[in-house]
Amino acid sequence: MEETTGNTRAGIVGTIDLRAGDVTGAVDLTGKVHLLPCSIKHDGPCPVSHYFKPKPSGVLVDGLNVEEAFFRGRKLQGVTVALPEGFQGYVLGKKKVEGGKSSEAMDGDSSCWQSRAEFGNFTYWNHDTMPSKEDPILRCFHWFSIANALHKPVNAEELASTSSIDGPWPTNSVSSAKVKEVHTF
Amino acid sequence: MGSAPLPKWASEPCIMGIDEAGRGPVLGPMVYGCLYCACSYQKTLTSLNFADSKTLKEEKREELFENLKADNCIGWEVDIIDPKELSAKMLKRVKINLNEISHNSAMGLVSRVLDIGVLLTEVYVDTVGDAEKYRIKLTERFPGIKFVVAKKADSLYPVVSGASIVAKVTRDRALRDWVLDETAEDMHRNFGSGYPGDPETKAWLDYHKHPVFGFPTLVRFSWGTCTSYSKDMVEVVWESDKLDEDGSSSGKRQLKLSNVGVSGYNRKSEDVESSGKGRSKFFQARKLELITEF
Repeated sequence: MEETTGNTRAGIVGTIDLRAGDVTGAVDLTGKVHLLPCSIKHDGPCPVSHYFKPKPSGVLVDGLNVEEAFFRGRKLQGVTVALPEGFQGYVLGKKKVEGGKSSEAMDGDSSCWQSRAEFGNFTYWNHDTMPSKEDPILRCFHWFSIANALHKPVNAEELASTSSIDGPWPTNSVSSAKVKEVHTF
Repeated sequence: MGSAPLPKWASEPCIMGIDEAGRGPVLGPMVYGCLYCACSYQKTLTSLNFADSKTLKEEKREELFENLKADNCIGWEVDIIDPKELSAKMLKRVKINLNEISHNSAMGLVSRVLDIGVLLTEVYVDTVGDAEKYRIKLTERFPGIKFVVAKKADSLYPVVSGASIVAKVTRDRALRDWVLDETAEDMHRNFGSGYPGDPETKAWLDYHKHPVFGFPTLVRFSWGTCTSYSKDMVEVVWESDKLDEDGSSSGKRQLKLSNVGVSGYNRKSEDVESSGKGRSKFFQARKLELITEF
C-alpha cells in the first residue's frame, strides 16, 4: 500500500493485504455477490439464500440474462456481470491485531485491511428499471481503461511526438500522478 | 379454465359476472373470478342458489363450485394475482394502487372471455372505487358491452354471486396449497384467513418476520399492517425513493414509501449511494466518488 505523497491532505497510512487470511485459502464468493439498489442498515451474517431467490426472467439485455428477485416487497431486475479481465473482487475486513482488544474497539482507528473472500463476478439489481449497459455500475468499468492510459509510463517516442506540438513536459509528470479510486456502493 | 371447445351457447348473447376475493388480506393472492352463461340461461342460474360467497360456509362454497364446474351451460375464468406482484406494483417508483390493479384484472378477464369467442353483451361487476367512473372506464375499453357496476353486486346478481364463489374458492385453495418460496427452517403454513385482524394471521406474521428480509413473499409488504412490524426490522433506504421523494400519495392501505422499514435513526442520503458530486462529468455519470477513508 502506498503512502499519500499528496500536497493537499494529511498523509493517511494504511495497508490492504490481499492474501487469503487463513491457511485454507481464499473463500470464493463468485456467483454470490449481490449489489442491491438500497442501503440495508445491517452488518452481519444473514440467511440470504433462504430468502433471496433470483429466478431467470427469460429476457436478454445486451447479451446478459436478466434475473428477477424480490426484496422487501419490491421487484428487482438484475444481471450477473464478470469483472473485467485482470481484475478480482475482494471482500475486505479490518485486520485483527495480535493480542489486541475487542474488534469493536479496533474498528474506528485501524486502517489495516485483510481479504476475507474473493469474487470474479457480481449480480447487480435495479428497482423498476431493466439493467442496461448505461447503468452507472457498468459504466464504472470504463474507468479501468482510462486509468490505465493515464498511468501508463510514457515512452520516448510518445514524448517526442507530444513535445513537438505542445512544448516541453517533464518526463514523469503523467506517470507519477497517483489516483486512487474506490467507489462506495 | 373451462372446457376446450367453445360451447354452442357461447355464440348467443351472454352475460357475465365478475367478483374478487382476497382484496383485504395482508397475505396471499388476490383472485378475480368471472362466470358467464347465455342470457337465456339466467333463470336456471337463479335456481342454482348461488349467494354472496361470504355468506356461505366453506363446504357449501366448495360444493357450489364443483356444481358450476360440471355445468356445461356455464363458463368461468380466474385471474390469480400473486402477492409478490401486488407488493411490487404498489411499491414501484410510479405506484399502481390496488384499485387500478383490480380494474386491470377485471378487464383482463373480459378480454380473455371475448378472445375465447364468447358473445358478451352484459357484464355485471362489483364495484371497486367509484362505480360510475369504473363503469365509464369499462365501457370505453369494451364499447360493445353493457356494464352494470354496483356495490354489493355479489348479493344482487346471481351471475356475480357465482363469480364470487369461483374467486373465493380459488383464493382459499391457493392459500391452502401455497408453497412458500423461502426455505428457512421452522416456517409453517398456518396463515389463518390472511385478514389483518385474524389472530392466527397475526401470530403467523409475528413468527415469520425477519429483521433483514421483512417477511416471506407471501405477505403484501405494501399493506399498512406491515408498518407495525417495522420497528423489529433493520432500516432499508432505497435509491429510488431518494430520486422521487415527492411521489404521489395514494390509497389508505398503501404505505408511504418513506415509512417502509424506517426504524429509529435516519442517515443522510449520501449513505445510499455515492454521487461523484463536485467531480468531472465522467465521474458523476458513473457515481464515482473519491474517498480517502473507508
